[in-house]
Amino acid sequence: MPDFDQIIVSEEWENTDVSLLETLDHVLNRGLVIAGEITISVADIDLIFISLNVLVSSVETAHEMLRKRETE
Amino acid sequence: MKLYAYCLYADLDAFDNSVPGVSKAAVRVLKIEDISVVVSDCEAVPVTQENMLAHATVVRAVFTRTTPVPFRFGTLATEQQLRSFITTNKRALANKLAHLRGCVEMDLKTTWQSSNSFTTKPNSAAGPGTAFLLEKRRELVGNDQALAERDELSTFLRTALGSLIKDEKIGLPTSEKPTITKVYHLVESAKIKEYRARVEDLRAQRPELQLEVSGPWPPYSFANIELEFGSQFGVS
Repeated sequence: MPDFDQIIVSEEWENTDVSLLETLDHVLNRGLVIAGEITISVADIDLIFISLNVLVSSVETAHEMLRKRETE
Repeated sequence: MKLYAYCLYADLDAFDNSVPGVSKAAVRVLKIEDISVVVSDCEAVPVTQENMLAHATVVRAVFTRTTPVPFRFGTLATEQQLRSFITTNKRALANKLAHLRGCVEMDLKTTWQSSNSFTTKPNSAAGPGTAFLLEKRRELVGNDQALAERDELSTFLRTALGSLIKDEKIGLPTSEKPTITKVYHLVESAKIKEYRARVEDLRAQRPELQLEVSGPWPPYSFANIELEFGSQFGVS
């Protein structure tokens, strides 16, 4: 039996004029961010958890991409 | 070897993984707990337009079969880090997958002239120093007018679109004229046509409002989870 969601989404997708800019906006600015979690311990006693997000690109590269997006 | 992560999903046995991934790497599925994670073996991912589109294409390949939770572009991790992330956030991810199941994201860009603002105009009598500080405050937390307009627009759309919207994310209105606000709606895939038709009705009712719909998208705007630490201890 075909997947109902598959039919609906595929049909709508064909009729959608999705711009490149919107696609880039989605993949760059939104989506699930993996957060690491570290534990700060003193004398083997866990004191505090800190969560941190993972940034993959360099700041310079990110700025370059942003400049490109703004000029498109 | 690190893994580049595209998205995760729960309720699908297989998908077309012949789609090339970032840097043309092969795409495979890594099963962790009850969750499938779509990954490529990769040490580094250059930030290029080609790779961003490859990310979007892989997520869309899954999206044609089920509702994925997309990762943001550039997510590289070791298998151990991925397993740790999913194990640590298992409950939040399960809740997120259940919330998104069978849904798509529809984006609605609303534009209106400030003269037709939803609410009052800003205080134009403020001096340059006050205006500067007000603008800084608006950038950080949004000014009262922006917040009020956002809330009023949200109420207006929720009233008009009603049960078609399962969830909503809404940005702050821009300070420039015309005012633009981006709204993201989570909509059941079976209701996409009805959603579009209802937006058409809104255009006729409020001609001063420019409404542009795009989608359906994988639910990028609804993908992030509340960290277990936050949900357990009330700290974000």
